[in-house]
Amino acid sequence: MPDTVIAPLIPTTPVTPAILEALRAIVGDKGLIADAAGKQPFVTDWRGSIVGTAAVVVRPATVEETSRVVKLCHDNGIAIVPQAGNTGLMGGATPWPSHTGIVLSVGRMNKVLNVDPVGYSMTVESGCVLQTLQETAASHDRFFPLSLGAQGSCQIGGNLSTNAGGVQVLRYGNARNLVMGLEVVLPNGDIWNGLRSLKKDNTGYDLKHLFMGAEGTLGIITKAVLKLWPASKDVAVAWLAVRDPQAAIEILSEAHSASEDNVESCEMMSRNATDMVLRHVPGTQDPLKADTNWFLLMQWSSSRPKTEGAEGMAEKMELFLADQIEAGRVLDAVIAQSEAQARNMWKIREGVAEAGRAEGPGFSFDISVSVSKIPEFIDKGIAAALAILPGLRPHPLGHIGDGNVHFGFSAPAGMDRPTLQQYAPAVTRAVNDLITSMAGSISAEHGIGIEKLDELAHYRSKIELDTMRTIKRALDPKNIMNPGKVLRV
Amino acid sequence: MSDFIDKLRAIVGDKGLVLDAGDKRPYLTDWRENYLGAALAIVRPATTEEVAAVVKLCAAEKVAICPQGGNTGMSGGATPQEDGREIVLSLTRMNRILDIDKVGYSMTVEAGVVLKTIQQTAADNDRLFPLSLGAEGSCTIGGNLSTNAGGVQVLHYGNARNLVLGLEVVQADGSIWNGLRALKKDNTGYDLRDLYLGAEGTLGIITKAILKLWPKPKDHSTSWSAVPSPDAAVELLSGAYAASEDNVTSCELMGRQGIDLVLQHVRGTADPLAERHEWYVLMEWSSARPPREGDNQVNLRDKMEAYLGEAMEKGLVLDAVIAQTEAQSKALWALRENHTEASKKEGPSIKHDISVAVSKLPPFVSEGLAAMTRALPGCRPLVFGHVGDGNLHFNCQAPAGWSKPQFMEHGDAISGAIYDLVTSYGGSISAEHGIGRIKVDELTHYRGKIELDVMRSLKRALDPDNLMNPGKVIRV
Repeated sequence: MPDTVIAPLIPTTPVTPAILEALRAIVGDKGLIADAAGKQPFVTDWRGSIVGTAAVVVRPATVEETSRVVKLCHDNGIAIVPQAGNTGLMGGATPWPSHTGIVLSVGRMNKVLNVDPVGYSMTVESGCVLQTLQETAASHDRFFPLSLGAQGSCQIGGNLSTNAGGVQVLRYGNARNLVMGLEVVLPNGDIWNGLRSLKKDNTGYDLKHLFMGAEGTLGIITKAVLKLWPASKDVAVAWLAVRDPQAAIEILSEAHSASEDNVESCEMMSRNATDMVLRHVPGTQDPLKADTNWFLLMQWSSSRPKTEGAEGMAEKMELFLADQIEAGRVLDAVIAQSEAQARNMWKIREGVAEAGRAEGPGFSFDISVSVSKIPEFIDKGIAAALAILPGLRPHPLGHIGDGNVHFGFSAPAGMDRPTLQQYAPAVTRAVNDLITSMAGSISAEHGIGIEKLDELAHYRSKIELDTMRTIKRALDPKNIMNPGKVLRV
Repeated sequence: MSDFIDKLRAIVGDKGLVLDAGDKRPYLTDWRENYLGAALAIVRPATTEEVAAVVKLCAAEKVAICPQGGNTGMSGGATPQEDGREIVLSLTRMNRILDIDKVGYSMTVEAGVVLKTIQQTAADNDRLFPLSLGAEGSCTIGGNLSTNAGGVQVLHYGNARNLVLGLEVVQADGSIWNGLRALKKDNTGYDLRDLYLGAEGTLGIITKAILKLWPKPKDHSTSWSAVPSPDAAVELLSGAYAASEDNVTSCELMGRQGIDLVLQHVRGTADPLAERHEWYVLMEWSSARPPREGDNQVNLRDKMEAYLGEAMEKGLVLDAVIAQTEAQSKALWALRENHTEASKKEGPSIKHDISVAVSKLPPFVSEGLAAMTRALPGCRPLVFGHVGDGNLHFNCQAPAGWSKPQFMEHGDAISGAIYDLVTSYGGSISAEHGIGRIKVDELTHYRGKIELDVMRSLKRALDPDNLMNPGKVIRV
């Protein structure tokens, strides 16, 4: 965690032997992990950079068990860190080192309870692995669009609690847009049954959206009714050399109607990012030799199978690209003619994180601005970073349709990690100041957790922080739900 | 009290105050004229700062506020109580469009802009703002957002809350929350935006919003199909998503009773099909991509024709017509949109704006019809609604010739039967119209104590003196 963060004050009531036995009576031996080695993976974050402690890891098998565990903790003032797949990037699921309470893992609640293909919905427990849900939907000729790097191990409860993003947000929205209903265990142990599979329900305050994105600080999501979409039947993928970021957002702007609203992904990559992948990730090939600093990976997809003789996605895309070349926005482009070519294009996009590590020390910012401000942000952001440390090598990329840029930098050639770290706080301040001046977000998809606790407090208005604190205190007066995350109370 | 009025005048000026009894009246009664409230004054601020100053003054003097937009709500949420101790705070002078960002597909507006003006402004910029409902000529966006309005395009674009990127809200203490962020992604703390949307002015007053825009449709197709059952309607829609390439923008179900009433009471309407059928589906597909000229392009009408042909072979559709002109399309829509007017002309009715999961809609319809006629033999069920949203207007027309008082004696029995059934289906007793005043007791009756307690905790935390639209949505 950042060295400069001062640990927040959190409840430190210990788990006594009597409480441990009471927990055991609720979840049984199978649901308790008390030995240090067993606990280790649950108290360390995915990147290994934050290590906390917990008296015990509790793994309830049902919502009723979860409710009883929370009630016991509530009555005794014991802090709870809820955890799902533990793949978060901000430390939201990792206990603070001062934590003396429990980690509550939802991983044993991993059943798909119902699939309703006609109603396009699926009811699941919060410990289901994302990839399992994608596959379950596909086996019913349906599509669950949430898709991100950690999908093989992250769990839906964590995805919803952090309002996860990913590569299909452009078309389907963030995780919160993929949900119709929730079941939540509240900080006092009560079970809120909001498991309604309704598309329309105007009956009082929208509690569902409050719990999503709250990172487990207001309650524990135990079940969800998810929305499904038709499975894709006609897909076209292209790699475009584009004039500049301004051209990229204009291309996307026009692609919506040209594709009949079938743009599924639109990822912009800088040449530096692309070259870095081609250098370090085996099996990747440059799809296009073009003299430009910017590329676009665009995917269009439709749930309607291409019929004989009719124009499919690839034909529509070809017409569109011809128009865009004529308009001077696209310099050159290639549409994947095979599954292997499409995979190569996606591999370049997905290989950036791995290539960045291979390249050496660096840092990255997960930011968003309104879509039309992306070009200005990139220009000013690079200038601001280079003014602090000349020689930094920027390799930005991002989900431009979402206004979300992963604003990454590699250290100047030959600079080691400790030296680079000397400059990190100043660059962070400069980049986050710029984002704030452009009315953007300092955390577009990764959340706040532990990592950005103080950044949020620095950049959000007192009025907004006060409103959030008021809500937190109203729903969790004892501050036992994931204390010291998102907000200091 | 004159002291209080003077303080209000110091903030909003004479132009911003309505004190005369006759001038106040339109602000004191709801559109359906179910309620007639009273108010110390109608206050019409011109800016967010004025709204904030008025709210701060009211907080200091412990005067309650009934926020009001276009005053077209169906549930009495914008009408003050009868005790005359509130002010009505009308947003209608804050009616400027502040910014349009074509490339970023967004528009920033003040809360008092009329919905139709927003639609028109979007269209002038080759964009679409999809919220569309009966009252669009007079309702204002602040009210639409505060009630999370629905309408006929929810199926494709979502409710009002899905059409919003950012909000500015004056909170109960008079502080201004600036959440006017035009961001598609922002995971920085609690989602305050979605808390204010749909809260019917009980947590704060929405003063500005950043709305999402879509490409303007360039290709449409509208069809009218007779279907054997609600089951067939659900299946017809289920297959239409893929067949249209996800371009289904509306799908409305109607029973024959409603069509008979419309044909009887509304001039210029005609049955599009030769024979009588029990159930009908009005479907609209639309796409932002214009059909290209010259080559052998398949437009939406061709696709729809092919799809309805297949559906007919499977027995999902008994007979169908596809509009060939804009005028034909309008005539089909008139059959749907005149249901409320025709019902009013026919006589008294009781309305139920309910929703269930889409796939449970068919059994709900048959059980609901049985329950309704059991509650009052001889009543005439009038069922129509948005299939894709699981949202039906499950209304009950009085037996022919009955007076309103005679019919209303059975009101509780009929509504009780329907709402009990909705609840047993895990459905909602207010799909799009909100709770307002009219359903406060129903909400208390049908929602669990735990859910009500959480809502009360939020209300008490954000509005500790219960000054924001008191007595609406939830009793504190």
